[in-house]
Formats: sequence, C-alpha cells, structure tokens
Amino acid sequence: MTDLVWLVPLLPLVGGLILVVFGARIGEPRAGWLATLLTASSFVVTVLVYLDLLGMPAEERSHVVSLFSWIPVGSLQIDFALLADPLSITMALFVTGIGSLIHLYAIGYMHGDPKFSKFFLYLNLFVFSMLALVLGENLLVTFLGWEGVGACSYFLISFWHNRDSAAVAGKKAFVTNRIGDWGVMTAMFVAFSAVGSVSYKAINEAAHEGAISQTAISAIAILLFVGACGKSAQLPLYFWLPDAMEGPTPVSALIHAATMVTAGVFLMTRVGPVLAESYGWVPDTIAIVGAATALFAATIAVAQHDIKRVLAYSTVSQLGFMFLAIGSGAYVAAIFHMVTHAFFKALLFLGSGSVIHGMHHEQDMRKMGALRAAMPVTAFTFIIGWLAIAGVPPFAGFWSKDEILLYVYADNRLLYVVGMVTALLTAYYMTRQVILVFFGEARWHDAAGEHGAHGDFRPHESPKVMLIPLVVLSVLSVVGGGMQLPFSKDLHFLEHWLEPVVEEAERSIKGTWAYDNKYVLLGAAIVVALTGIALSVAVYAKRRLPAIEPKVLENAWFYDATVARLVGGPGAASFRGVTLFDARFVDGAVNGAGAVARGLGGVVRRSQTGFVRAYAVFIALGAVALLAWFVWRGWLA
Amino acid sequence: MDLTGDFVAPSIDWYALSPYIALLGGALVLLLVGSLTPRWPRGWYAMLTALTAGAAGVVASLQFAALADDAPRSLMKGVLAHDRFGLLAVIAICAAVIITSMMASDVAVSAAAAGDAPSAVADGAQTDSLEPYSLLLVAALGAAIMVTANDLVVSFLGIEILSISLYVLAASDRRRTASHEAGLKYFVLGGFSSAFLLYGIALVYGTTGQTNLGGIAVVLADEVTLPRNDAMLLAGVALLLVGFAFKVSLVPFHSWTPDVYHGAPTYVTGFMASLGKIAAIVALVRLFVVAFPVRADDWRPAVFVLAVLTLVVGSVLAIVQTDVKRMLAYSSISHAGFMLVGLEAAGHIGSSSASEGTSSTLIYVVLYSVLALGSFAAVSIVSRTATAAGSTNATSLDAFKGVAKTNPVFALGFTVLLLAQAGVPLTSGFVAKFGVIRAAVSTESYVLAILAMVSAVIAAYLYLRIMVSMWLSDSSSARRTVSFAGRVTLAAAVAITLVLGVLPTYLLRLSESLASLAR
Amino acid sequence: MLAASSSTIPFPVLTSLVVVPLVGAALVIFFGRARQEWTKLTALLTSVTTGAVSLWVLQAFDSSEAGFQFVSQHEWIPAWGISWHLGIDGISLFLVVLTGVLFPLVIAGVDPHHDERPYLAWLLVLEAGVMGSFISLDLFLFFVFFEIVLVPMYFLIGGWGYDQRVYAATKFFLFTMAGSAFLLVGIVATALLSRDSVGSVTFDVVALAETGALSVTQGRWLFVAFAIAFAVKVPLFPVHTWLPDAHTQAPTAGSVILAGVLLKMGTYGLLRFGVYLFPEASVWARPVLYTLAVIGIIYGAIAATMQTDLKRLVAYSSVAHLGFIVLGTFALTDQAVTGGVMQMVNHGVSTGALFLLVGMIYERRHTRQIAELRGLQQVAPVFAGFFMVVMLSSIGLPGLNGFVGEFLILIGSFDTARWWVIVATTGVILAALYLLWAYQRVFHGEVDDANRGFAELRPREGALLFVFVAIIVFTGVYPKPMLSRIEPSAKALIEHVESRTDYQRPAQGEAGK
Repeated sequence: MTDLVWLVPLLPLVGGLILVVFGARIGEPRAGWLATLLTASSFVVTVLVYLDLLGMPAEERSHVVSLFSWIPVGSLQIDFALLADPLSITMALFVTGIGSLIHLYAIGYMHGDPKFSKFFLYLNLFVFSMLALVLGENLLVTFLGWEGVGACSYFLISFWHNRDSAAVAGKKAFVTNRIGDWGVMTAMFVAFSAVGSVSYKAINEAAHEGAISQTAISAIAILLFVGACGKSAQLPLYFWLPDAMEGPTPVSALIHAATMVTAGVFLMTRVGPVLAESYGWVPDTIAIVGAATALFAATIAVAQHDIKRVLAYSTVSQLGFMFLAIGSGAYVAAIFHMVTHAFFKALLFLGSGSVIHGMHHEQDMRKMGALRAAMPVTAFTFIIGWLAIAGVPPFAGFWSKDEILLYVYADNRLLYVVGMVTALLTAYYMTRQVILVFFGEARWHDAAGEHGAHGDFRPHESPKVMLIPLVVLSVLSVVGGGMQLPFSKDLHFLEHWLEPVVEEAERSIKGTWAYDNKYVLLGAAIVVALTGIALSVAVYAKRRLPAIEPKVLENAWFYDATVARLVGGPGAASFRGVTLFDARFVDGAVNGAGAVARGLGGVVRRSQTGFVRAYAVFIALGAVALLAWFVWRGWLA
Repeated sequence: MDLTGDFVAPSIDWYALSPYIALLGGALVLLLVGSLTPRWPRGWYAMLTALTAGAAGVVASLQFAALADDAPRSLMKGVLAHDRFGLLAVIAICAAVIITSMMASDVAVSAAAAGDAPSAVADGAQTDSLEPYSLLLVAALGAAIMVTANDLVVSFLGIEILSISLYVLAASDRRRTASHEAGLKYFVLGGFSSAFLLYGIALVYGTTGQTNLGGIAVVLADEVTLPRNDAMLLAGVALLLVGFAFKVSLVPFHSWTPDVYHGAPTYVTGFMASLGKIAAIVALVRLFVVAFPVRADDWRPAVFVLAVLTLVVGSVLAIVQTDVKRMLAYSSISHAGFMLVGLEAAGHIGSSSASEGTSSTLIYVVLYSVLALGSFAAVSIVSRTATAAGSTNATSLDAFKGVAKTNPVFALGFTVLLLAQAGVPLTSGFVAKFGVIRAAVSTESYVLAILAMVSAVIAAYLYLRIMVSMWLSDSSSARRTVSFAGRVTLAAAVAITLVLGVLPTYLLRLSESLASLAR
Repeated sequence: MLAASSSTIPFPVLTSLVVVPLVGAALVIFFGRARQEWTKLTALLTSVTTGAVSLWVLQAFDSSEAGFQFVSQHEWIPAWGISWHLGIDGISLFLVVLTGVLFPLVIAGVDPHHDERPYLAWLLVLEAGVMGSFISLDLFLFFVFFEIVLVPMYFLIGGWGYDQRVYAATKFFLFTMAGSAFLLVGIVATALLSRDSVGSVTFDVVALAETGALSVTQGRWLFVAFAIAFAVKVPLFPVHTWLPDAHTQAPTAGSVILAGVLLKMGTYGLLRFGVYLFPEASVWARPVLYTLAVIGIIYGAIAATMQTDLKRLVAYSSVAHLGFIVLGTFALTDQAVTGGVMQMVNHGVSTGALFLLVGMIYERRHTRQIAELRGLQQVAPVFAGFFMVVMLSSIGLPGLNGFVGEFLILIGSFDTARWWVIVATTGVILAALYLLWAYQRVFHGEVDDANRGFAELRPREGALLFVFVAIIVFTGVYPKPMLSRIEPSAKALIEHVESRTDYQRPAQGEAGK
C-alpha cells in the first residue's frame, strides 16, 4: 500500500487539472463536490498507507517511492521521489483530512460566487502542493510544494481581485514568502556543496555522523529557518499573514491556520538531526524568535476588532509556540501542538466564517454580540474551539501547549515565563472574542443598513454543509489531546509513532526538575488559563475593569506601518535612483558618445569655410608638420 | 644609370605600351575627327570613348593574364613598370571610363530632353558634345601612366595630365557656378600641391642622383656610397608625400574634396572618386614600396598618423552633413584612411606580411571605386528627378525621401552599395576591409586596426541616414526615372559587389602576384 | 574530445537550415509581387520546413555523443583559410530547435499591418542569419552571420516599429557593430597568431581550439576583444541600454525574436568561442564576468520594477535573466553550464511568450503604459490565466521551465562563485516583486471604462500561446531529455578547460570537510 503513496498528491492534482479545463462547464455546485471527493479519496489512501505503516516494525516505517528522475546533471541527481514515514504521513493525514472538511464547508460558503469552480481549482492545487511539500523525499520536491502552496495562497488571497486590498495582500504574501525562499534555496546550495545531495536522508545522516563541518550544518539549519520564518509568519517576516485574511474564510482556515503556515515547523522537524548537530546558538535563536513572536502577536490580538484578524494574530502566536518547542528540542510536542492547533484553529476560523456568512459579510466584532441565539451550532462549536485554544483541560490545546511548556521549562526558564504570559494573553483575547461575538447585547440592528440587508436584518444559521465540518472539528478539538497524554509513557502514542523520525534530534528531559514535577507545571498552566478567562470576563462581560485596547496594539505596534514606510520611502527612492542612473548616466554615456561625435564634426566642419586661402593654409601646415618629422628623423641618422 | 654616356634609344615594347597608345589615340581621334565633322548623333561620342577604353582594358587584361608566367618587368629603360599591380589598376581605370562615359551621355540626353528650361539642366553638362569624352580619355591616360610610372618625372607627367583634365571636367557644367567654383578651387590647390611634389622630386634627385624608383632604392640600399644628406632626402620624401596626400585627399590635405565633389557634375564626381583615387593611391604605394623601402621606418609613422587623422576626421565630418554628395565625399576620405592602413602594413618591410599590405591596398581601392561609381550614379539619378521637380538642392538628403516607395528595386540596389561601404559581410566592401585589417593585424599594428574598425562604425551612421530617408520616410516626390545607363551602372556595381562579396576567392588568389612590383 | 564526430551524412541538413529560409525570402519577394495572397503562405511553409528540419535534427541527435554532429565542411575562401564548416552539439542543438520553432509561430501569429511582403522577407533572412550563427564552426563564417543579422533586424525595427523606431534601430545597429569591430580584429588575430601552432592560417574553431596554442597574454587580450562584442549582444551591464529601446520600439515579432534567439547569440558566443578558444583567459576573467552578471541581475530587476511601460519592464527583466546565464557559463561546472544552456532556451520561450502577450495587449488597447491598464483579469480571465503561467515561469516557479535552469545555474555556481551566487539568489525575490506588481496593476483591481472593452483571448492567439505554455510546463516537469542532451557537450567543454588550465571542478561532498 505504501507504494501507492503517489496517489495521495495525484488525486487532488487530477481534480485541479479537470477543473482547469472543464471547471466552467461543470459549474456550481458539482465542481465543489468533485474537488471535495478527490481530496477525501486522497485522505482515504493516506489512511490506508498509515495503517500499512502501523503494521510494520518501527524501524522499517520509512518508504521512498521514486517516480522519475527529475533534475539529473553530473554529480547532482535529484529524483521526483516521495517519502512515506510517520512524520510525512501524520502531516498528510491532517492536510487531507482537514482539507476535505474545508472543501465541504466551502461548498456552502462560496455559494453563488461567480468564480465558484475556480475557487475549488485553486483549493485542489493547494492540497496537491501541500502534499508534495510534506511527502517530498528531498529538499527540492519539498521546495516544489513550498512554492506551489505559496502561489496558491497568492491566488486565493487575491481571489476577489477586484478589491485592491485583496490584490495587494496577495502580492505582499508572495513576495514576503520569497524572502524566506531565498533561505531555502541557499540552504540547498550549501547542502549540495557539502553533502553532494539534497535528500533529507543524506543530509540528516551526514549531519548525525559528523561527516560535514559544523559550520555547514549550522548554515543549512539557519538558512532553512529563514525560509520557515517566511512561510510560518515568524518575526520579522510575519506581517503578511494578517493581511492574508483578505482571502475567503475557508482559505484562512485551510492555508493560513491549519496547513501551509505549519510547513516551517514541519521542515524544522524534518531536518531535526541537522538542528541537533549545529552550533548551540541556532536552536537558541529559533526558540527566542518563536517565543518573541508568540508574545508579540498575542499582545496585538488583544486589541483587534476584526473577528478574523484576532484569529490571524492568534495563529502567528501559536506558531511561535511551535518554534519555541523546536528550539527547545521538543519536536514531538511541536508536531502535537501543530495537529491540535490545526483542529481548533480551523474550527475557530470556520466558525468565524459561519458568523460572517450569517452576518452578511460583517467582520467587525463591535457590530456583533448575542449571536448564540441566532446561530446555536456555530456558537456551541466556537466555544469548544475557544476552550481548546485557551488551554482548558481536557480540551486538545491544553495537552499540547502544556507539553511544550514542559520542555521549555527544562530548557530555559525565562522563555518559560514568556510562554506562560502568552498563554494567559491567549486565554484573555479568545474569551474577549467569544463574549463580543456571542454574548452581551446585540449590536447589529443599527448596523443593518450597512450590509445591504433587505428588510429586517436577522443573522441566520449557516447551511448543513458548513455546520458538519464544524461539528467534526469540534469533536477533534475535544479528544485530540488523547494522542499524547502526559500521565504515562504508554500514553505517548504520538511520541512512539514519530520516534523513528525524531529520535536523533529529540531532547530528553528525563531527570530534569521539570520532568519530575510535571504535574506542578500542569497545574500552573491551568491556573494561568483560568486567570486569563476570568480577567476577560471581568472586563467584557461584567464591565468591572476598563478594557485595555491601546492604539499601539490595535495597529500591531506599528511594525507593519514602519515596514511599509521603509519600503515605500527609502526603498522606492533608491530604486528610482537606480533607474534614473540608468537613464541619465549609463544610457546618457551612450547617447553622449554619439553627441560628442556629432559635436566634434560640427566643430571641425567650421574649418570647411570654402575659402581657398584657408585650405591652402591647412596644406601648408600639414606640409610643415610632415617636413618637421622627416627632417628630424634625418638629423637622427 | 649612366648619365655621361651618349643617348641610346631604348628598345620599345609596343605591345606592352598599346593600352596607353589606345587611350591617347582615342582622345586624338575624338578631338580631330570630331571637330572636323558635324555633330555626331547622340551617344556616338560616348560609344567611341567606351570602345577605346574597352579596347585598352581588354589588352591590359590580356597582358595581366600573360604576366601570370613571366616576371614583372619595366619598359623603356625602367620608366614604366609592367606588373600586375599596375595593370589591374589600368583595367579598373578603363572600366571607370566606360561607366562614366555612359553616365555622361545619359546626363546630356536628359538635359537635351529637358529643353532650354535652364533650371532643368542643373546637373547636366551642355548638350552632348565631344569635349568631356576626350577629356575622360586623356584623364585615363594620365591615370594609366601614374599607376605604372616607375620614374618620378614620368609619374609627375601622369599626375599633371590627369589633374588638368579633371580641373576642366569639374568645371564642365557651364550653367552652375558651383561647378566653375569647384574647377577653379581644384585648379589652384592642385597647382599648389604639384609645386610641393616637384620640389620633392628635386630634393630626392639631388640626394640620390636618381629619378628612377628602382634606382633610388638601389642607391639608398648600399651604405658605402658618398655621405648622403639624410635630412635633405627625407625632406624630399616629406614633400612627395604632401603632393600625393593631396591627390588621395588625406587629412589635412583633404579640404578641397567636399567642395569639389559637391560642385562638379555628379558623373565627374564619380569619376574622380574612382579613377582619381586609384591613380593617386597606387602611385603613392608604388613610390614608397619600391623607392623607399629602406626608409620605411621613417615614413611608416607618418603614414600611421595620416591614416588615423583621415579615418577619424573623415567619418566624423561625414555624419554631420545633410547633402548626400558631400556625405559620400567625406566617406571617400575615410575610405582613403582604410587604404593607408594597408600602406602602413606594407611599410613593415622586414615582415613577411608586408606584401599583404601592398596587395590589400590595391584591392581595397579597386573595390571601392566600383562602389563609388555605383553610388554617385545613384545620386545623379535621384538628383536629376529632384531638379526636374524644381528642387533647389537636388542632392540633399531630403531628395532621397521615400525612394523605396517609388523605386523599390533601385533603392535596394543603392542600399546594397551603402551597406557594402559600411563593410557589412557578404559584400565586396567587407572583403576589402577584411583584407586591410588582416594585413594590419598580421603586421601586429592592432591599434590601427581597431581605430579603423571603430571609425567604420561612426561612418556607418552616415549610410544608415541615407537608408533611413530612402526606406523609413514618406515619399516627397513622384517616381524617379531611372535611365538605361543608370540601370546598367547600378546593376553592374551591385553584381560585382555581391559576387566578389560572396566569392572573393579569385580576387584573393591574385594577391600574391599583385604584390610583386617591377623595380 | 570536442573534435568533429564522423556522423556526416549525405544530405546537408544544417546547410538547408540556412538555405531554406533564404529561398523563402527570395520567393516572397519575387513571387509575392504577382500573388499577394500567397506571400504569407510561402513564408509560413518555408519557415515550417526549416522548423521541421530542426526537429528532425533533434530526434536524430545522438545524445551519447559530446562532439559535433551532422558536420558539413566545404572550402569557401581557401586563400584566407576560411571554410563553410557547420556542425551541431548539445550546446547549440536546442538553440537551433528554438529558432526553428519560434519563427513559424511568430510568422503565423503576428501580423505586420502593412508592407507584409518585405516584412516576411526580412524575417526569413533573419532566421537564416540566426540559424547560421548557431551552427557555424568557422570563426569567419560565424562573424558573417553575426553581422548580417543586424541588417534584417534594423529594417524590422525601423520599418515596422513604433514612434521612436528609427532612433532605436540606429542605436541597435551601431551599438552592436561597435562591439563587432573588436570581434573582427580579435578573430583575425586569433587565426594569425595560431598560425604556427595549427600549421596554417585557419578560422576553423575546432582546429584553433584543439591545436592552437596562444601565449597567456595573447589569449587574454583576444578574449577581451571577443568578450566586448558578446557583452554588447547579451547584453551585460553596462552596455545594455540598446536593449530596452530596441525592445520597446520593435514590432511584436521583432521583440519576440530579439529576446528569443538574438540575445542568445551573445551568451552562446561567450560559451562556444570565449570559453572554448581561450580557456585560460576565461578562467582568469571569471571574477569580472561574475560581477558584471550579478550586477546585471540585481540592476536589471530594480530597473524593471520602476518601469512604467510594460514592454520596457520585460526588456529589463531580460537583462536580469541573461545575467544568470552568464554567471552559469563561467562558473564552469556541469550543473552551471548545462543550466546556462537550458536557461538560454527557457528565457527564449518565457520572455518570447511575454512579449507576445504584451503585443496582444497593445493590439487591443494601443498602449503599453501600465498606468492606463486595469482590471483586465475581470474582463479577460483566460488571457490573464495564460499571462499568469508565463509570468510564473519567468519568476522561476518550480515545476515550470524557468526554475530548472536558474536552479541548476545557482547550485552549480555555488562552489566556484559562492558569494556572487548568494547575491544573485536575491534576484529571485526581485523577480517576484516586479512581475507581480505589474500583474497586480494591470490585471487586478476594478476594471475601468477604458479597459471594459478588452477582448478575451482569440482562438488563434490561444493556440499560439498554448504551444509556449506546453513547452514551459513540460520542460519544467520533465527536463531530463533536454539535460541529457546538453550535459555531455557541457562536460566535454569543461574538461577541455581543465586539460588546458589548472582549473579543476570542485567535488561536492568534500567542501564541508
């Protein structure tokens, strides 16, 4: 069965190709169903592969399926090969799984959109690229997917391209990601020059056996991390993600919460051994960047009014958590949190989508409130998602976040504190969102006019196709934690499953204080979560405390604005300068040469007076000059 | 040469002399018979001229062929050289006469056809009469003597014969004052330069006791003769160079060229640009290579400087002109610069490639004269229509606007000639340039080679300008009438340009033998 | 090794590549006058025939053979040691095929609007010239084709171009000719200086490269002379300024051919003659060329970003792309050189297609000003789709042709030109910047009245572009057939360099130790 792993990416690709050609003719809703079906079937295949792997002894759970020789030149031999191992299959499972759910949801959400079939075309292509990314046997195949998801994300963010804001956001996302891609490409160059190959196996082994210099190892690691920063929206390259919310909500859920943005975390885990062998400052940098991003984004989320932007910044913050885990050597925890996060963040986004849908595309939370009556299912599932992300046991988020904090504590207490603060803020702003949207008094009657709602405007519950995914995801958000429970080694299912991949890199915390007192930390985490919720309730429900929503946070610390000003000011100026230089100097020199020739001609021409006497003078002068030369030569002899 | 002995009449090789005799005879017949008989039917003068030149050319060709086996020699006790170098020039000269005589009668015809309207005949000479034709033949004779003269005195003789007839031809358009002015200028300055020439000859004779080129070489070669005054000798060389530089129109002795070329009737201009150039440059090369090889180190630098000046000034001045005739005048100057590149190479006497310089120079001037004849023919065709249309400046760039629209074939032909002058491959122009560049490179004067090529780029701009106004501007006039003579001339020029451009092999195979001069 | 292989066959295939278009041109001129309606057909047929021959060569090409194939050699100007010597190897193969394919497409797909007859004739002459310069193995012969190409291009730009056409055409002609001035002297000097070592004066490239022995100084000087000429043609910074003008003013067909194949004469020349004839000098000159190439990459991209004219933008992007090719050429590793050769073709396809698309936009809107275009994707989604694919290939998206070449160049150059590569890779970011920005301004946003009437892609245009897109995707997904034909010749060339200098290819896998 594992040999059929190539079917996994192929099926969505086929869907994409069909829609490219016949999309318009198939039309709504059949195009949507087709895309959903193909993604779902690729999910089925993944499950089969998963079961197949399960049936094998742990050390054999790594299968390479080489499809064809892609770029073979001299010592560089790159195959288009897929790797089926615990890590890639885990990724494939939730990419296809959540992917299918979101496809299904989108059938309802995109109802009536003139570009309905095109939307699903992009969605299918995205799933294909994402699968190529996670299943790739070497850096180049991963890079193919890496760029593919980037392109699809560009298409989908600027899906409603008539809106300039959407067009700009798409371009911004692509270009920012390209900065990260520079890192990935350069990493490949280093890897090839040092190892002579870009396949993960070769690189990881070379690093593990110390076959290559630590400098090279560290270079590869840090360069790949640069790429990860781009894709996974870490500081300093995070700022494209909030703008990406311009895209339709299913896109935000699939690409900008569940799958694409986690690619960086996946890549880091993939090359875990390289990180483990590189200089100490490399993992430290990763951990610090992760922690910083987590806190930074959380502070911003506190003061956002757009229902989706809150979730966007929360995503950035949660991704920070994952990188914090990577930096602390907690690869399993990172993947664990990635999966649970995929569940509840997708759930929250779809929920918000359902709200926006019901509110006739109103996204400002200040114009919502008391919606739980109008859309009960949405409200209920959303609340589950909230509890999960806030870190309330026994919901999924709690377990994964706790696992991370455990490792972080063992690694660096300062970062642990940062993590805790972030956790508190997370609970705070998520509670705030839930209250503003579903509780309190309804603030949308007055807003009725704005969103061309005819007659008496009433928010309505969304259709079934949209609700089913919500329910499924909420279930997952509840039980998701079950895959890795701290209580005993036997409950570390995920860890055992991923062991063959991460064992070389995974940091052992046995014997540290944290390990021995993990229940203390557990408790601390619960306390923090509840405190955050309590505070938020006090502020937004009970109105006991004033809301703290300073402009500086609402505007994301003016980071984005500053970048924009730099790019728009000095950046553009220097570009204009170069262009001017080209026109004035480089080309000027060329035209100048011509002008000089013509000018010279004009000057010499004056000698052409037409007077014989003048001509005679020239001849005489010439004669004198020649005589002088020859006679001088004569004297010499 | 024994100066004290009694005079002994040299043995005369009449057959070898026959081309000269033919040309002279033709001229005399025209003058005598023509002036005694009533006016001949239109075109007959031209016919006779062409036939004479043709005959001379055929004989010259036969002699040229014969020289394949027997070595080059000199005639009449070494006053005239009998070698392929000279004979090829003679053949070219005869060809030039044939073409020019055709064009001349053509002009006359159209002038007559235009009746008495004075404006209509601006570019034409008086209606058909014999003088111009006889002058063409006399000029040809002078040129033929120049290119074969192996003695300074004889060479001077040839120069004067040629020059005087050219003075008259330049002024031959009685209706245009420009023509008179041209003739006068040319005459005054020509006399001026002849004076230099003569003085140079005197000095050289004074130091070497020789006027015979070979003799001079011999004297200069042996070191044990009585102490010579090098300064005086070289002063003579300098003055000789001045004289020839004027005829070849090298900078700074060129200034007469644009005015005279512009003023003279166009067919005469073509004649001067072809035949005049050939005669002057060939004589110059022969003089330096045969008489002053030992002094090469002294004259080569001078030639180098003259070459650079001529190339640069010629092409730079060319691009600021607005009158096609002047443009071509300047381009003929920069072409002269290229010829000097060859001469400079010939000056590397020690080097095995010096001979390459000699032959490539000759080939260059011959191929150029074809282009010149064709180009000026084209100019006269266009300008005539312009004149008929009452244009004040019939040879201005504007007169060529949109020719491609009215006369595509004609335009294409002229374009080929222009591209050839620019040195585009697959044309004789490229072969010529390649030849001299190759000579220069093989004598390792890279600087000169590169300077030459760069100045060729500058000059190319001028040809492009003409092409632009022919192809890329809208027509300013009606369809130009292309006379039969014009067609033939252009067709011949284009054919030679392309054939020799694609298959220069035959021409090049000669080059070895061309370089062996009679001494 | 690179010596001409014995695969000479009775029928002069390569010669026909040059002759057929010329015959076509003659037919168009003389036949076409009588029968106007046949002119286009005649031109099309002859160019298709040429294309067919080139494709036959492609399938008959022996990919295991590094040397020259289909060699045909005849005396031409023995007096100067010049022969009609044609041959093809992995380096020239795909350029020939590209030329053979591009011309029929352009002739079929683009209309001149006036004076069709001379237009088609010039195009065919141009094809002959380009073909010739890619297959000639005699320096003199190459120079002849290299120069002769100027004439038809001059007339195409000057005769069928836009308002500034005369200026652009003249600039193009003189600029290139100035470069050739050095080339000619260099060629002659090469032949004459190798006289003794070769045994006679010959312009035969193979003989000169294999047996010619120039002193270090001679080699370097001559290399410089050659490099100047080719740098102008490529064009390398700072002698690139003729390109934007030529491209902007040329008619669509002219731009397509110019970008598609003409510029490649420069990069091809550097590889075939620069490296092959002067190994020592090319190793010696690498730092300079790397630097110029990288400057070109960044500089071209920056200039492109700031253009207001869509066609000028694409022209400057060419400067950047060709920088990559030059970088790869002189990195002298299997990957870099192979990638460089492949990129020559890729750039021809992608940029050629871009110019076609820009031409179509101009046809519809009679402007190329980005500011005057808006929201086209709304009114012409299919058109936008094609533009997007071509653009992504030009940006270098994996899975499309552009990426493979760029990736090979960069990864191959990393060991020999590390820091240059690191800078050059940032060019990848800029490429995304200027193209996406342009796309956003032209295709995105709410369509305004001026652009509402923008016509959707027409069947003929679609068919034309489909060919390009097919090539773009195929060579991106499965470049192996192409690489396996280029690689042997590239390898052989590098070994030729190694055998004559102390340069050795870096061995990957060691570098880290």
